[in-house]
Amino acid sequence: MLAFGVLFVAYAFARADDVELFNQSQLTLSRTSGLINTLVLITSSYFVVRGVSAIKQGLSDKCAHWLIGAFLLGGVFVGIKIAEFSAKFAADITMSTNNFYMFYLSLTFFHFMHVLMGMVILTFIILKVRRGGYGPQDYVGVETGASFWHMVDFLWIILFPLVYIIR
Amino acid sequence: MHNIHRVSNLFSTVIWLILVVLTVATYSIDLLGMSRKLTMLMILAITLLKSQMVANFFMGLSKTKTLWRGIMLGYFLIVGGLIALAYFHASH
Repeated sequence: MLAFGVLFVAYAFARADDVELFNQSQLTLSRTSGLINTLVLITSSYFVVRGVSAIKQGLSDKCAHWLIGAFLLGGVFVGIKIAEFSAKFAADITMSTNNFYMFYLSLTFFHFMHVLMGMVILTFIILKVRRGGYGPQDYVGVETGASFWHMVDFLWIILFPLVYIIR
Repeated sequence: MHNIHRVSNLFSTVIWLILVVLTVATYSIDLLGMSRKLTMLMILAITLLKSQMVANFFMGLSKTKTLWRGIMLGYFLIVGGLIALAYFHASH
């Protein structure tokens, strides 16, 4: 989170040195993709909350279903981001193109890697839940994985307006 | 016990719906036709609200010590404050 915080602030101050370049480059991003991805991550976070609630009640099957839903939404997020990255690379846009794209690609790719890591963590938790490895007395593992997923959501909630919306 | 979980789930659903509404508001805030500075401040305020809702109600920090909530709030106030400072600096 500290690394992201430093990058967020660095982005804002780098923009201050070349507002026009940042504003023009920002217009090439799909705000709608950013909106959909934000809604997807918020909803997946909600699914994880419901999964934790279910395991606290001893409802393993229900917990697994909510977490699978969160995992699938993570997949939707990844798919949309890959489409966005592909479009940029197809247009010969790289981190070297300008300062805006350097920040845009590094911030979103760094976050993208965290989403993938979150999906790996969710997979392990889902498998353990299905084996009956968690219950009302032992759900710390589910809560820990859930916290990581919420952290990924928390960071995107800042990243989305900063990179896609604020001009 | 069952009722406690039902109320808790209902509460989570309400929080999720508020987060959805705030996200759409962030996306469409340009429609209000406010100045850029005011728009930026409004977006940061909405983002503060959203981030704290995720931290307190999704992560469950509202049930923990004040210190943990303070860390998450402090994180946003420092990062968000510096972002606002940079944007004001840019417009001069």
